[in-house]
Order: sequence, then C-alpha cells, then structure tokens
Amino acid sequence: MSELLIRNACVIDPLRGVNAETMDIAIRDGRIVEDVSGAAEVIDVHGALTLPGGIDSHTHICGTKVNFGRYMSPEDMRAGRTPRRGPMHSTSGYSVPTTYGNSYRYSAMGYTTLLEGAMAPLEARHTHEEFTYTPLQDTMANTLFDGNWGIMEAIRDGDTKRVAAIIAWTLTAVKGFGVKLTNPGGTEAWQWGKNVSCIRDPVPYFEVTPSEIIRSVVEANELLGLPHSVHLHCNNLGTPGNYTCTLGSLGLIPDLNKKRQTLYATHVQFHAYGGSGWKDFCSKSEPIARFVNMRPQIVIDMGQVMFGRTTTMTADGPMEFNLYRLHHDKWSNHDVELETGSGIIPVIYRRKNLVNSIMWAIGLELALLTKSPWQCLLTTDNPNGAPFVRYPEIVALLMSKKYRDAEFATVHPDTGGRVPLPAIERELDWYEIAVMTRAGQAKALGIQDLGKGHLGPGAEADIAVYPIRVDEVDPSVDYQKVIEAFGRTEYTIKRGRVVSRRGECLVDGSNATFWVRPKVSDAYDMGKDPDFIEKFDRYYTVRMRNYPVQKEYLNRNRCIETEAGI
Amino acid sequence: MRVTLAMRPAARSFIPIEAEAIVPKNFLSGTDLSVWRGNRELRLDEVFSVFVEGSADRPEDVEVVISGDGTSRLKRVGEYMDGGKITVLGDIGMHCGNFMTGGTIEIHGNADGWLGREMAGGTILCRGDAADYCASGYRGGRKGMTGGTVEVFGRAGDFLAESIAGGTVIVHGDAGDMAGAEMHGGTLVVHADCSRPAANMKGGSCYVYGTAHGMLPTFKRIGTVQHEGRMLIHFIGDIANRGKGNLFVKDYRYLD
Repeated sequence: MSELLIRNACVIDPLRGVNAETMDIAIRDGRIVEDVSGAAEVIDVHGALTLPGGIDSHTHICGTKVNFGRYMSPEDMRAGRTPRRGPMHSTSGYSVPTTYGNSYRYSAMGYTTLLEGAMAPLEARHTHEEFTYTPLQDTMANTLFDGNWGIMEAIRDGDTKRVAAIIAWTLTAVKGFGVKLTNPGGTEAWQWGKNVSCIRDPVPYFEVTPSEIIRSVVEANELLGLPHSVHLHCNNLGTPGNYTCTLGSLGLIPDLNKKRQTLYATHVQFHAYGGSGWKDFCSKSEPIARFVNMRPQIVIDMGQVMFGRTTTMTADGPMEFNLYRLHHDKWSNHDVELETGSGIIPVIYRRKNLVNSIMWAIGLELALLTKSPWQCLLTTDNPNGAPFVRYPEIVALLMSKKYRDAEFATVHPDTGGRVPLPAIERELDWYEIAVMTRAGQAKALGIQDLGKGHLGPGAEADIAVYPIRVDEVDPSVDYQKVIEAFGRTEYTIKRGRVVSRRGECLVDGSNATFWVRPKVSDAYDMGKDPDFIEKFDRYYTVRMRNYPVQKEYLNRNRCIETEAGI
Repeated sequence: MRVTLAMRPAARSFIPIEAEAIVPKNFLSGTDLSVWRGNRELRLDEVFSVFVEGSADRPEDVEVVISGDGTSRLKRVGEYMDGGKITVLGDIGMHCGNFMTGGTIEIHGNADGWLGREMAGGTILCRGDAADYCASGYRGGRKGMTGGTVEVFGRAGDFLAESIAGGTVIVHGDAGDMAGAEMHGGTLVVHADCSRPAANMKGGSCYVYGTAHGMLPTFKRIGTVQHEGRMLIHFIGDIANRGKGNLFVKDYRYLD
C-alpha cells in the first residue's frame, strides 16, 4: 500500500465545481481517497495551483503517420535533442519527436492522458506499439472510419445497425477508443484522384454523401453507447470559404446524448475560413462560434496555429496534396486499403504571411467567442497547428488581452481588417483554462466516470501542480509567469506517483491504454457475418483472422465494455 | 600561436574519434580539451602529443597542425570554427569543417565524406580527393552551404555541393554523380567530368569544364557563351523544379 498526501494545494477542479480552494489531497494506491494514515508521504505545495492531470483530446503522437513524419523529416530530429539522464531515455525531434520525447515533454507540462487523433485500423499495431513507449501518459486511439467500404455500403443500403455492427467489430479488433471521421468520403474519393467539395457531393462508386456518412455514423455511435461521441474532421479543411461547409456539417447533428456532446468537431480553426480565394481570405470564427453557442450537442477544439516550424499530418490525403502544391516542398501520401489514407508535409507558419496571421487569430477567436469553455477545448491539433510544447503560450494568449495585443502588433499589417480578434476584450480565468485543458476533455471523451479529469474520491490520482499562485499573479499582466508555470510543473503525479518534478522525469512509468468493446447481439457480430467475411477476405491484403490486434501489443490496458442497442 | 597535435600511435583504433573540440578558438584557453572515442571520453593528450609554441589572444592568430598516422579516423575537426587555421598533414575523417563560419582549413591528404557540410564562411583547401557529400547539406535539410569557399585539388565524390545556397565550390578533378543536386544559389565549378550535374536546381551557377555524363533532359539549352577562355554551352533549369539556375557545360551526353 502506498500513500501520499498533498498539503496546501490550491485546487481548481471544474468537474466538481471547486474553484481555487486550498485543500489537502489524499492518495492511496493510485486513487484519490478521503484520508490517509499518518504514515503517508507528505508533499507540501504551499498554495501552488493544483489541477487534475492534463488531457489532450486531439493529438498525433503515435502511429504510422507520425512515424512517417519522423522518417521524412530527418532535419526535425536535429532539434530538441536531449541526452539520456537518470531514468530518462535520450530524445530528439521538435515537431515529431521520438515517443519518449513526446511523453517527457507532455509530462513536464502536467499532461497525463492523451488521445491519438487518428489511427488507421489496419495499422493499429504500430500505434499500440508506440503507446507502450509513451510511458508517462494513459493513451487511447480514435479509429478512422471515414472511407470504410463496409460502412459506406451499409449506409447506401440505409442500414444504420449494420454500420454500428461494423464499428463495434472494428473497434474491438483494433483496440480503438472512439470513432473518427476525417474528411468523410473525401479520402475515399482521393483514391479515385478526386475529393468531395462539401457534404452533398457523392463519393465515387459508393454514391453516398458525406452528410449521410456523418449522420449514420453519429446514430451508430449512440446505438453502441460509446463513451466518446463521433470525432469529426470536417470536409474541405484549409479551403477559403469552407466555413459554410462546416456550419452545414454541424447543422446535421441532433442532440442524442444527455451526458456529453453528440459531435466533437476537431481543429475547427482550419474549418472557419471565409473568402473566395487566398486574396480575400478572412476569419469566419464569429458565425461558427455563434452556431456552437446555440447547440450544446457540439464540442469543438481550437486547432490553434502558432508561428514557427512544424509538420502537418492527417488522414485527409487530398488536402495535403493541395498544401503540397502551395508549399512545393516534401510530401508523402498513403493509401490504407479499404479504410482511409493519409498525407504529410512539413510547413513553416510565418508572421509576415497574411494567411498564416489570420489562421493564428482564428484559433484564439474561436476560444474567446465560444461562451462555454466546456464547448471549446485547447489544442493545436499537435503537430499540425504547432507542436504541443506551445500550449503554455496559448494559455497566456487566452488569459491576457495585453499579450494578444503585443503579439498582434508583430503579425502581417493587413490582418486587422480580416479578423475580429483586436475587438475581443475577453480574458479567460484560471477556472476556464482548467476546463479547456482537462475537465472539458474528460467530459467530452466520456472518461470522467473512469476517474479522469477530476480530483474527487475514487478518481485516478493524476495531478499537476504548477509553480504559480493564483491569488498573487494577475495573468492579464504577468503573462510571462503564466507561460513559465504552465511550461513546467512543480510536480506531475500519475496514478499516485510523482513522475515529473520541475521538468525532470523520475520514473519509467507504466501507462495504460483505454479501449472499447461494445457488446452486440449475435445477429450483429460481424465476425460471424458471411457477407462481411467474404468481402474482407476478397479485398483486404490480410486474412480476417490475422487482422485483430493481439493482447500482446497492448501494455497495461483497460477495456471499457458498453451495452450496445443492437 | 602554433599548436601541434601529433597523433600517438597508441591512439589508433578502428572506432573513429569525435574531435569537435579541435577548433582554434578553444586553444586560447589552453589544451585541456577532451575528445570522444565511442562512449569513452579521452583527454586530448591521451590521443595526441600536444606542443604549443607562442601565445595568442584571438582565434585568428592560432594555427593548429594535425599530423601522424590515423588522422583519417578523426571526425568533426573544425566544426563551428570561426577563425584561425587548421592544417592537416595527412588525411582527415568525416565532417571536417561542419558549420564553419570563418578561418582556413588546409588538408594535405584526402578528406572523407561531408567535408565542409553546411558551411557559412571561411576557406577549405583539400590537396587530395574529397569523398561524397563534399560542401553539401544534411539529411532532410533545405539549405546546404551558404557561404565561403571549398577548393578540392583532386577528385570529389557523389553529391558534391548538394543543396548549395551560397558560396563557391571548385573541384579540379572529376566529380561523381549528382554534383550540385538541389542547388539554389552559389557557384559550383568542376574542372573535369561529372554526371547528372545540378539535378533539380532552383538557382545559382554550375560550371562543368569537362563532359556532363547522363545530362538531364529537364534543362533548356540557350546557346553558347565564352567563359574564362572556354566555350561553354549554356542551359537553364531545372525546368522540373521551375528553376532558373544556370548550367554551363563544355560537352554533354544524354543517357541512351
């Protein structure tokens, strides 16, 4: 039995409504409890800001796509090199670091749970292998269903229950957590050298539209009772004028779930563009935020862009090809058989570039104009908008009008006429930041009942103690202190153990992977469905019996069983 | 000040020695430096007999002379060098003069791969041959050499001056395959033959005073020009990369 007592913690715990109360936190065997014995180890944090461990609800850190980003950008590995030190392995890379680099840097910032944003089912083993070597965070993987042949055929036949059944079988087989749609239909159209322009365009051959895919998969997701909602990367990413398409997609979503949102729209910054081309490109964050404010069934994340070098990687193959034609640098493109695809290019976002400056402003506007912080979460779509190590700067930008103005003065001079950012006075407070970086994520992912994202008794003891006192620091003026504090915790505690102290990782960790197994009736068990088996064996390059990810690929893991309505 | 480093015979080994500490500037504060052999750190005087004559208070007045058998196993000599002189009385190992910004390196023997990689200034003279990737960029990088001069009196290997963006590279003998690949600026002169010069070039000038073998079809022939007493054929390219570089060759042969 191991016990730990954190004394004099200034706790902000939005899921329990605790706002800056000084209290003690008792931990026994990795869980938070009411009290501990006198023999417990004591850490006195002297009123430092204490939050539940950070959760990133959309990041690309593990899997074939990320690894190909490493592979094609050897120059990235020359940045951020650290030698082996104590239990820490050597690391390298800036925008696509090694797995240990990701894990240590996230841990130094107080993050304890990560959701890999896009895992191609066929290549799930790679993702799980890299999860094993991301030792300081619990992990889970969104699984791609945007171009799944079986699902598109079932949608064409109007059979939502079969859609749900295929999702259930695939999630169980690949040990996935949630359902991700990346440019639904568009990646499949890309296999025919085409794209879909918006949600009413049919996919070649299958003759289903993105709107049909979104609607059926959302219904199927709720039929299965999955913890997380559908995680949508809308069509038309990065195109001027795409905000109408985004509004159209969000407008398809009914309110189907009482506990959480029905749709999680990711990196909406990339989907909130106005104008008819790059010449009149402008921000349309206002209509998007207004739309989200009226619909509690939708949660978005920022997808903030920060200036500097990074790597873009997504399952949205056609979009990456368009980006390649703009940048004319390296590009890679992949096709994943019956499922999806992907593309990767390195980019540099520059202040002197008008489009990049507008993109930077849009992310911030979305966060500031969305009234409820529970509906707009803080991400950069790491590493697409910026590497996650830039999160502290984003926190400071959201908390300080002064910092925003100072930064705004350095961007392209024409930006002011294209974005509403300079007129926005709102400054987020500590509580709202805590929502946007952990509590909101836990609720959106549906993992608060598993003890994530809060510090109530029974919760997993994932805690971040930041070296800052909320009663002494005024974030709107001392934004530099905010950046420093959120950049390096005093203590990061994972499952009751101090894993990172002032940026030094202390243990090798033992993370867990969360995955979902929906329980479906025999009639909807795709493993026994003759038609599904026949198609699988005819079109896939692997045998169906070799497709499921074996348990050996998972380190510690926690299976979430759901009662499906089919 | 003159620092003589004579390699001790006992220090010869198959494992190369990483000697990025051998830079003129470092000797201003003494010879208490260390180098690495694999994962073992060695004092400079364990590897070399060190003799110092005179004194200096700026790097420009320091000359380092490296001699002895086995200098071809010394890597990264003169990395980040910003002034002074290094003379190698023999061969030198890989990555000599990486990222150099000033001063002179003179090699009396041959140089191994990556001589003067990503250098920004200064001069490298190689009296013998240079191996592959002489005066080039590095894996994945967009810009290679940005300034300074590299002159090789023997032959050069493949990928000579790859990704060069500035400065001058002169090779008096033949160069290998893909000379000046991905060039976007600067000048490359090959006095003898080479193959597939200036592939995917964006800008800059490449001169081949011998024959360009395997000449790429994506260069547009403009005409002939008189250059330093030679009649050269002028091409513009690489059209495949929307490039506007100039390629001058004495003679060329396309692949059959």
